[in-house]
Amino acid sequence: MNRFSLPNLGVGLGLRTRHYGHILEHVPAVDWFEIISENYLQTRGRPLSVLDRIAERYPVVMHGVSMSIGSTAPLDHAYLQQLKELRARIGARWVSDHLCWTGVAGKNTHDLLPLPYTEESLRHVVRRIREVQDVLEAPLVLENPSTYLEFEGSSLKEWEFLAALSREADCGLLLDVNNIYVSAFNHGFDPYQYLAGIPFDRVVQLHVSGHTHYGTHIVDTHVGPVIEPVWQLLAAAHQRCGASVLLEWDAEIPSFEQTHAEALRAEQYIGAAS
Amino acid sequence: MSDRLPEPRLEPSQPWAAERASAMPLGLSGVPALAGLGLAPAARPRSLSQLQAWMMDALTGPHASSGLGIVVDGPQLPAAGRLQIYRHAYTARLLECLRDDYPVLAATLGDSRFEELGRRYIGLHPSDSFSLNAWGRHLASACAAPPSLEHAVFYAELAVLEWALVEVTHAQAAAPLDPPELQRIPSEAWSEIRLIASDALRLLSFQYPVNAHYQAYRSEGIVLPLPAATPSTTAVYRRELTLWRMDLTPAMTRVLSALLAGETLGQALARIELDGADAAAVAEAERSVMVWFQAWVTSGFFARVEVGRGAESLPR
Repeated sequence: MNRFSLPNLGVGLGLRTRHYGHILEHVPAVDWFEIISENYLQTRGRPLSVLDRIAERYPVVMHGVSMSIGSTAPLDHAYLQQLKELRARIGARWVSDHLCWTGVAGKNTHDLLPLPYTEESLRHVVRRIREVQDVLEAPLVLENPSTYLEFEGSSLKEWEFLAALSREADCGLLLDVNNIYVSAFNHGFDPYQYLAGIPFDRVVQLHVSGHTHYGTHIVDTHVGPVIEPVWQLLAAAHQRCGASVLLEWDAEIPSFEQTHAEALRAEQYIGAAS
Repeated sequence: MSDRLPEPRLEPSQPWAAERASAMPLGLSGVPALAGLGLAPAARPRSLSQLQAWMMDALTGPHASSGLGIVVDGPQLPAAGRLQIYRHAYTARLLECLRDDYPVLAATLGDSRFEELGRRYIGLHPSDSFSLNAWGRHLASACAAPPSLEHAVFYAELAVLEWALVEVTHAQAAAPLDPPELQRIPSEAWSEIRLIASDALRLLSFQYPVNAHYQAYRSEGIVLPLPAATPSTTAVYRRELTLWRMDLTPAMTRVLSALLAGETLGQALARIELDGADAAAVAEAERSVMVWFQAWVTSGFFARVEVGRGAESLPR
């Protein structure tokens, strides 16, 4: 159990529009769903209507892509307020986003851009996490991103940064083991060394997904089945924390049954630790 | 004048509205092109804010950066190549968003011309919101903006139709007016009622038969040759979770437009005569109008009805 006493929800799926019809019609047995928060903000229409129905039947967790916790632009309090309202509306179990920034100077790239892992960044992000948690009145859960570059000025490893960050800001962690695998290849580190540096009492959720290997680098495309080395990382991480597990599949999304079957493969790797 | 109510077209389920994710766009983030990059070291930012300003420019500005002196070379990719992954993804993600919102315009223009339009749009309208839901709203005007496309009016109208589908997806759909409620309106009051439109209704008038072109692609996957100019009107609306498109005849358009403009039902019906239709056509339209009206009510075009000059809302 994590230090926030957030529950292990089991093995869940990222909620995707392609599966809305199947879920509403068949109400399949799924432990829980994770939504992309922004898909349900700035709308009063169909996405929200579907989400209301799904949240009546399943535990739901909110996963955002636009908090831009690492940006030097001011936090968007209107956005945070909307997150808080959505959380209350659907009874989301927790709210997560990414350790990244998405833009500055009023411009949003809608990408999860990497931070330099420095003392300055650490102080900056810790301050902003506290501000977010004050607004949300709940612990923020931050995910390690896939990254494709590192900065000359970085003085900390990503796992060192995450450990210090979560301790000093008292926030939760969402550990994406596929992102660890992707970044390990792109930057040439040992993914198990990464795991060894993570404070698992703060990990409330684990992500797995597929990716695309381009030879010189790997890109986190969330496509296709999860490869064996990523499942093995999941097993190692889950053994240390017993956290909720979620499959993300965002491109060339197959049928609901196939996607769910892929998620349930996780049980083969975490069963012993559950 | 044929004023049978056209059969509404069900919007295929695919465009549930563009969905955003935390993943990189698929197939658009491969080995980055490095040719033509300047290799001079960039001035090293001294603070996090300087670094982020530099990186925003490197990713979204007109010129790619080598990243030398700021970005570390990777095991297999130099700094410039690593930076290019993000620069490439910035454009790819936004183009993907436009393709999600405008699938038929994209198919009609073809990959190359749509991408050219999209790149121009990205330059004109960089996203300034945490959400991409409304980012593509200006594409119709971009079609017509210089350097305008050939057949810009048609493409702009197609974009208007597709954006209306996005808007209606995100609008709050009213519960349809209940026919028994309407039947409680005293007959002498009918001519004075006003109907308040649902937020999830758009009435679109075009110079071209845009909906027919759209329908051919959505139902058959066929991109029809560009049509000749022929005026058309299409209602785009949502009832509960389902999107619909309904073509309207000129007489229907006159009545519905008047109702949506806030005229009373009596005034709206008078539009048929005022627009100079012949007597037989007017008589037929008057017979048909209650059928249209009933269809519009059950389709959820109206959120509520106001009865009388005091605009008293009918109790629900």
